[in-house]
Amino acid sequence: MTTTTTIVTGGKRRPRSTAKVEPIYYLFLLPSLILFTLAITVPGAIGIFFSFTDSIGIGDWNFIGLTNYVALFSDPAILQSYLFTFGFSIATVIAVNVVAFLLAVGLTSRIRFKTGLRTIFVIPMVISGIIIAYVFNFLFSNSIPAAGSALGIGWLETSLLANPDLAWVAIVFVTAWQAIPGTMLIYIAGLLSVPGEVYEAADIDGASKTQQLLRITLPLVAGYVVINVILGFKGFLNAYDIIVGLTGGGPGTATRSIAMTIIAGFNGGDYAYQMANATVFFVVAVLISVLQLSLTRGRNQLS
Amino acid sequence: MSPAVRRIAAATAVIALGATMIAGCSADGRETIRFTFSKREALEFMTGVVADFNASQDGVRVEMDTSGVDVVSASFVRGNPPDLMLANYNYEVARFVQRCALSDLSGTDAAATVREDLQPLMEQYGRCEGRVSALPYSVMAASVIYNKDLFAEHGVEVPQTWDELIEACETLESAGVTPFYATFKDDWTIGQGWYDYSAGGSIDVIEFFDDLAAAGAEVGPDSPVSFEKDFSEPMDRMLQLTSEYVNDDAASRGYGDGNLAFGRGEAAMYLQGPWAFSEIAKTAPDLDLGTFPLPMTDDPSDLAVRVNMDLAAMIPEGSRHKEAAREFLEYLYQPEIIEAYNASQLGFAPTTDAAPPDDPRIAGMQEYYDGGRVYQGPSVLVPKTIPVFNYTQAMVLGAAPESVLRTMDRDWARLAFRLPAPSDETKESSK
Repeated sequence: MTTTTTIVTGGKRRPRSTAKVEPIYYLFLLPSLILFTLAITVPGAIGIFFSFTDSIGIGDWNFIGLTNYVALFSDPAILQSYLFTFGFSIATVIAVNVVAFLLAVGLTSRIRFKTGLRTIFVIPMVISGIIIAYVFNFLFSNSIPAAGSALGIGWLETSLLANPDLAWVAIVFVTAWQAIPGTMLIYIAGLLSVPGEVYEAADIDGASKTQQLLRITLPLVAGYVVINVILGFKGFLNAYDIIVGLTGGGPGTATRSIAMTIIAGFNGGDYAYQMANATVFFVVAVLISVLQLSLTRGRNQLS
Repeated sequence: MSPAVRRIAAATAVIALGATMIAGCSADGRETIRFTFSKREALEFMTGVVADFNASQDGVRVEMDTSGVDVVSASFVRGNPPDLMLANYNYEVARFVQRCALSDLSGTDAAATVREDLQPLMEQYGRCEGRVSALPYSVMAASVIYNKDLFAEHGVEVPQTWDELIEACETLESAGVTPFYATFKDDWTIGQGWYDYSAGGSIDVIEFFDDLAAAGAEVGPDSPVSFEKDFSEPMDRMLQLTSEYVNDDAASRGYGDGNLAFGRGEAAMYLQGPWAFSEIAKTAPDLDLGTFPLPMTDDPSDLAVRVNMDLAAMIPEGSRHKEAAREFLEYLYQPEIIEAYNASQLGFAPTTDAAPPDDPRIAGMQEYYDGGRVYQGPSVLVPKTIPVFNYTQAMVLGAAPESVLRTMDRDWARLAFRLPAPSDETKESSK
């Protein structure tokens, strides 16, 4: 429900309060409003309603008040899925943005084969997550251990995915591999929007390349960093397909994300309880979007 | 459009709509019933049965729907369930039993031919008081699959007790043969095999889960039964096997790898069900395989095989063609059809007078199945909300069994707290 990230574009074009709005604009708004209401708001409200019942998806149900929520907050599996999902999202956001930014800087500088390299780096974006996950699953479970035993490196011989303490690293790696191109494209767009004169001026003033990167490039694309971090974080909170393909939530319950917990509940007939979980997740997501909205608004007013 | 024309148009529309809604009568006047069946391996067989039935009489026409359990669940929610279901009997399907959404089959001839000692197994998933809601159609028995050639080569006999099992493992290992091929990467193989065989060979599964359901939200350190108390010994023995007698790379091997490796003779024993035979046969069609129950105690009379109700027949209460569906149900339960079906899938027929299966690979389980020495896997007797496959995987990969079992107790109690046990529920609704 919070998938739209509104970037407010400053106060310059704020409509005058006295102006009469053309009715045609409401007409434009109508289809999306109807669709949004029918496909998202109404089912959402029904779901929240059912979180106060003991429904299993079919048959009779009774109101049980806050029982589901009481059970939810004492459920270590749910708590662990929240901790895992947030930890994973933060780690992935950092990894993705650092790598994507550096790649973007490299691909906008004067190097050979720029177009070819850009194409290659963007390929992961067009492959479906579940396919990527299965390919990497094979690499982690077979190819890397085989290489490890051939080279006599002991710690490589057991799959990373079988290690409850380190399986999350593999998930971060694969998710980042898929997410970097999209982030990189936004950074490239940002870097290309920086006027060349400022670098000329910096060169004349004798600034080194590192100084130019830290003092000129970074501050000028700061708005893009904010966008990338927020979009990425929001996406990673919904992590599902890559985890299913890589570990299936294992080993043990080490890598079960919130989305996986909710969907597992639906498949198992535990409808109302996971509706309560989804409601809590919704509230958390709303809080994050309020935070991001206020952040981006501040950012754009500064520029 | 004049009002009169409009009225006629509306009336025509209503009639057209009504005609399509007149329950499932096809153009040739036969009553059409919707039959759901989604076991992929057996689709060809069942398509043939349906075609034969349709050709054998002209009152009823069966249409097979293969869309799977999720679509069937949704059709119940919409109030338009199928007329006859032949489906895997598990907690997901048992919801319909518990909420009395299935009609009573006790009066059918089919019900009279089904073995009575299977009924307690069916009822483990809950029941609707006073009704036979589902009839077993195909029972799958699972136990240890073993490579007869490797056993003979190293002079190992089929073990009957725990000590004999350890001895067999030691003999094989000292001869350089991996005793068990394990596939810990796929958590269900741990739940289905290691966990279920270990617990099922040690405790009385029906009694344990009855007591557990009775204790409900009270399950914990002070309840009469709990996972922590009753499962700790079987789990310790299981962990002894999984830590000492399996292939070194078990943690990164999956089900497909296991079938391939076992087909190549890389290990002597494999904890899988009969569904693995056809996969193993792809690489080793002539491998001489047999089955025996995993011995977990020192008493051979504790030996039992794991069964599951691979298919059960059900006629939903909401069906508008119950009589026609029953007609097809009786057809399906004719000895020649039900036995041919089970033979084709390496299953056991649930009927009293069924001839024993002639496949030597499952012959080792015959005496246990005939004698009723069977149990349903503890991993499928807990609702899916408790991720028991993940938990067993954690144990096998090194988590402390006490803490995992305690977590399962807490999960069970929490579930009972918010959803009363199925048996209590049906009692209340029957009042």
